[in-house]
Formats: sequence, structure tokens, C-alpha cells
Amino acid sequence: MTSVKDPVLSHLLASSREVLEAMIGRSVTFSLPIEGEALRPRSNVVGTSAFTGSIGGGLVAFYTTLETAKVLTATMLGIPATTDDEVIDAIGEITNMIAGALRTKMAADGDLWAVSIPTVTVGSDFYTKCVRDVRRVLCPLKIDEHELFIELIVASQSKAA
Amino acid sequence: MTRFLIVDDSSTMRRIIINTLNKLGFDQTVEAANGREGIERLEADAADVVITDWNMPEMSGLEFLRQIRAQDRTRDLPVLMVTTNAAKDDIVEALRAGVSNYVVKPFTTDTFKEKIDAVLGKPTP
Repeated sequence: MTSVKDPVLSHLLASSREVLEAMIGRSVTFSLPIEGEALRPRSNVVGTSAFTGSIGGGLVAFYTTLETAKVLTATMLGIPATTDDEVIDAIGEITNMIAGALRTKMAADGDLWAVSIPTVTVGSDFYTKCVRDVRRVLCPLKIDEHELFIELIVASQSKAA
Repeated sequence: MTRFLIVDDSSTMRRIIINTLNKLGFDQTVEAANGREGIERLEADAADVVITDWNMPEMSGLEFLRQIRAQDRTRDLPVLMVTTNAAKDDIVEALRAGVSNYVVKPFTTDTFKEKIDAVLGKPTP
């Protein structure tokens, strides 16, 4: 477990809450963030957005199961998602909005980041492994009965994050 | 009836914007997936208001906006930018390019209504 005193992590949690509560219309409950490589969620849909700024480079990742991704998509669209493309696009947009809101909060602190367009990976039995030393903080959250995860990954040369 | 051109590479965002416009009583919408397609739509169909994303492939919303402002026929067209780019520098850049108003994602229906009212110069029903 880790605290939420880290400003980037704190901004990420606030950004995730703002985006999810606005887009899904339900309250979000966070559990304490988990720092390190040990635990990775079992997810079928992962949205990622890369960033660079004064703290260095890194990633914001949004993890969900396909079932939950379909629920989120249907809620956002107002109709049931009928194709995988709709689910991929919706998860990409959520990831994009979370990364964008984080960028806005960092800019308000005087640190203007560049953020990439989102990438969404869909499948099963895969995991992500960073090839260089990084700091990883996984933030579990719940919307109703649906468990989701937001992860902050920052290159180790910039552990000030 | 006011006709909206919605330009966004995300089909999800286009649907969300159309749903929001429908809630506000607007049902005349045309879609495009990037600025280049947006220009083609404007050449083919008249639109009363353009709603565009910023970050898009092929032609960004900012470049799309500059092209709209460079054409006599579309120079005065109201353009609402809907984007996650909400840093002060971003907003200044968009205003310099001639954006009429600005909505930061995620947005509520009430926020969207305020911005639509502002670009139309009258309150929606």
C-alpha cells in the first residue's frame, strides 16, 4: 500500500474520479493504491496514454474486464454496445479524458506535459512488463459492483513523481 | 432548425455529443472523423455550428479551425471546441486561432447548454 500524498498520484485519482463520475453518472470508490510489480489485475481491456513532463516519461493505464467495459460503453452511449470497436473507442476515450484531466492539473501546478493519443489493448492472458526500471502504482476502484484499476507508471530516473 | 457538424475521431464522443444535442432539442447533425473530413462536409453541406475535437489524425481541430476562418464562406461560422486540452496555454492558442467557445471534457449537459447558448447568441429551449 502507498499513501496518496504524491501530487501526481493525487491528481490522477482526482482526474479519474471526475471523468468516471461525469461519464458514467455513478460514484467511484477508491481503495488504497498498491505500489510495485507484484500484483497486476486480470483484465481484458487496457487503455494506455503516455506522457512526458518535468518528472520524466511514463504511462497512465486504465484496466477493466470486457464485461465491465461493455457496461461502461453502454452507459456512455446510452445504448448497448454492439461491436468491439465501440467498446475499444469508449475505453480509449475514457483513458484520453483521464490523461487529459491529469495534464490539466499538472499544468495548473506549472508543469505542462505532452500526452499521447490513447492505445487500447484487448485480449486475454497477457500482461505488461516495462523493459526499464519504473515506478508502478496501481489504484483499485469500484463503480457499483464493477472493479477497475488505474495505474501510474513513471520512469525510475524521475522518481520525484 | 440549427444544423450541427460534429468533428471527432472518437465515435463514442460523437455519439455523446449527439445525445447531448438531442436532449437540448437539436436533431440536425452531420458527422466527420477529422478536420479534413470536416472541410469536405462543410463544402458539401451547410452547417450552422461546428463542434470539433482538438486532437485528431490527418487534420487537427486547430488546423481545421484555421481553415474555416481562412475561407470567406465559413469565416464567421460559430465553432465550439470540445477537448481535454484545458491548460491555459491551450485555451489561449485556440482563442488566437478563432474558436468561438470552448468545452472541456468531460462535460455536463448544463455546461454544454451554456456554451451552445453562447455560440448561438440565444438560449436553447
